[in-house]
Amino acid sequence: MRSRLPVLIAATAVASLVLAGCTSGDDPDASSTPVSGGTLTYASGDAEPTCLDPHVGGNYPQALVSTQYLESLVSKDANGDVVPWLADSWEEASDGLSWTFTLKDGVTFTDGTPFDAAAVAANVAHLQDPTTLSSTGYLALGKVTGVEAVDARTARFDLREPDSALLESLSQPWLAMESPDALTRSQEVNCESPVGTGPFAVESWTKQQQVVLTRNDDYSSPPADAGHQGPAYLDEIVWRFIPDSASRYAALQAGQVDVIDNAQPDTLVAAAKDDSLDEIDAPRPGASNRIELNAGKAPFDDPAVREAFIRGVDVDSGIDSLFFGTAKRSYSPLSSVEPLAFSDESLFDVDTDAANDLLDRAGWTTRDADGYRTKDGVRLAATFPVSTNQSIPAEQSLFEQVQAGAKDLGFDVTLEPLDLSSWYGALAANEYDLVSAPYTKVGPDVLRILYDSDGITPAPSGYFANLSQTSDPALDDLLTRASETSDADERADLYQQAQQIILEGWHVLPLYDQQNHYLVRSAVQGVRALPTVQAPTMYDAYEAS
Amino acid sequence: MRPGRWRRAGRWLVGRLLGAVFVLWAVATLIFFAIRLVPGDPAEAILGGPGSQASAEALDTVRRQYGLDQPLLVQYLAQLGRLATGDLGTSYSLRTDVGRLLLDQLPGTIGLALLALVVAWLLAIATAWWATLSGRIASAVSSGLEVVASAVPHFWLASLLILVFSTELGLLPPVSTGTPAGLVLPVVTLAIPVAGFLGQVTRDSLLDAAATPFALSARARGESPSGLFGRHLLRHAALPGLALSGWAFGSLLSGAVVVESVFARPGLGRTLLGAVTLRDIPLVTGVALVSALAYVVVVALGDLAERAVDPRGRAA
Repeated sequence: MRSRLPVLIAATAVASLVLAGCTSGDDPDASSTPVSGGTLTYASGDAEPTCLDPHVGGNYPQALVSTQYLESLVSKDANGDVVPWLADSWEEASDGLSWTFTLKDGVTFTDGTPFDAAAVAANVAHLQDPTTLSSTGYLALGKVTGVEAVDARTARFDLREPDSALLESLSQPWLAMESPDALTRSQEVNCESPVGTGPFAVESWTKQQQVVLTRNDDYSSPPADAGHQGPAYLDEIVWRFIPDSASRYAALQAGQVDVIDNAQPDTLVAAAKDDSLDEIDAPRPGASNRIELNAGKAPFDDPAVREAFIRGVDVDSGIDSLFFGTAKRSYSPLSSVEPLAFSDESLFDVDTDAANDLLDRAGWTTRDADGYRTKDGVRLAATFPVSTNQSIPAEQSLFEQVQAGAKDLGFDVTLEPLDLSSWYGALAANEYDLVSAPYTKVGPDVLRILYDSDGITPAPSGYFANLSQTSDPALDDLLTRASETSDADERADLYQQAQQIILEGWHVLPLYDQQNHYLVRSAVQGVRALPTVQAPTMYDAYEAS
Repeated sequence: MRPGRWRRAGRWLVGRLLGAVFVLWAVATLIFFAIRLVPGDPAEAILGGPGSQASAEALDTVRRQYGLDQPLLVQYLAQLGRLATGDLGTSYSLRTDVGRLLLDQLPGTIGLALLALVVAWLLAIATAWWATLSGRIASAVSSGLEVVASAVPHFWLASLLILVFSTELGLLPPVSTGTPAGLVLPVVTLAIPVAGFLGQVTRDSLLDAAATPFALSARARGESPSGLFGRHLLRHAALPGLALSGWAFGSLLSGAVVVESVFARPGLGRTLLGAVTLRDIPLVTGVALVSALAYVVVVALGDLAERAVDPRGRAA
């Protein structure tokens, strides 16, 4: 029921404020004049994508690199507000069943194809085509029935139901716009050289080695909060894959590379003492990193046992000692970069006496020879599969401390370090009581994915997102209403109530934001994390002389 | 060459070829069944890897397309049939021809392993020589070094070398650059443990050979110490080491998985790591088969080298 046209003016104002305050943080020579030219070498610790087109599949490694050459209809600024990018403005219909986007004028893809409403329709069709094998983008467009090119610069999204998350969904790199001409090529070819409107274009991809990106000299479409207009400063980006954390940091110190991602806690502490390096702390949006308690089976089907576990296990000291102060404790199911995140610290005061009391009253009164609590001859045991691909070493150590803390309460926690396939296998087979599964998504609608009871029903592949197996009709109702309302205040209120239910129902033990730290050589200026999914953008970057 | 020798050579070659075919068949079979013991659905691996949220239709399509709806035995025979014609199939994750992918990555890894093998031999011979020439203390020291060298894990060694030669001394690049300088640390990392092992074996037989009557008579003829070492002792001493070169090469290939990741080098090891994570069955099978083939070839070459060094083997 609300027009979004004034958003352009507001966004521009916000953008200038953000720019004044935010570029390079505490950097002393942030005022130096940008210089054109040069090559920047980026070293990623994430897996090398198997396809450079983020429509296919749709994971974070793809988001990191594709942010350099693909652009979305909208972006987000540092305040969490949606700002114009390839779309200048947008408006939701009064019934919420369609959104009309006015597109930026005079934008072309790097293969010369014009960016217009037909291109937007082709991209949505590509994402929704089952043969594209899109997962992330496909899910995000779940309520979209199609896109109508009203005229060259006007694209209308038609929806099955109102979708308050549509703009946030469209801001994600997995729904970026690609040249419709390029999309007609075979998937194999498009995976190797996707074509976008971005400040750089894919020049070549040597598998396991590097992706070379060259400047798009005709570039004209930066997001509203960018640091400058026109083409990028850098001539070229060499995007490398260096899986080992120590080598990645050594390469940065040696000046072999200019930017690294996935900087680990020990590296961050070392880098903080190094004047020639700057850190960008860019927590990922969506869910916080949290331990979820499986309410779908014993022992955590009993709320008292969940409460005892959450209130009886101290994670603060572990986070402090293992992350060296680089990760801040979270008390919310959502990432702190989500404007609608709701925190309740008071719930998480550690009280082992209260926890023991709760377990006694829940009937876990006897102890076996090993000191674990039992009830009717059954040990109070919890299986905790840990994905060694997703949990960094510091986090795996933290889980060992959780295991030790739980043992004091009488829980027998079994940690099972597993590779990614086996880990998903254990979850699909419901062979877990505790689990930590990251989920990156822009906006609070991630709560619906993770906690709506629909999310307990497995997809055909066995995957399901509601790993805490939270099933609460009141929560489902709140999440559905929040996803449909077009009133911002009502939406915020509904999401707060939903988060209260999740926290007070003792479904999750929040740990910290999903960690995402970049290290940049101080000589390189203007690198920033795009506040959508916090992937880095090199558009404003330049080598200071 | 006399006809009898040709016959023997022919028999040797046929034996080797049959052995190679058997090894490849065994590897293909083992991999085919072993990888199915890992939980998860191959169709899912094709549709974006573990945790993908593929629709039922997409899964069905893929199952039919890749023959995954067939009984396991039928799939196995079909797979063997394809492999027999040299078709390694299409990678699930990269959607490209496995043969082409492996051809791209093979030279890097084989080159790295062969270079490391050469360096390992040089290191082993150098320490063995030093030990024989310089008496008891040198022998004890080199023996200690060899034990340590053969026991260090690649991962630890690589980190140590990076710390010393890149971070502290700034002499060599910590990650691969495509230049010869970038090759030094990976090669040395791979070579040191193998050198320790070869050194141990070589030094023992070197000391044995030095105590034999022929060494004494050579010395009596006025042969210099280095002449004695090069012309007489080494021939004897290298034999056990040569016999182990095939084994050493195999261990270098497996070491490549770690070394290629740490030094960010492209190659088979890294391909394998990625393929296992993504449950890319054709790619895993391809890497295993190519590694097995390379191993068979190197063992055969080691056998030939052994015959060349030791005339006794030719008569047998």
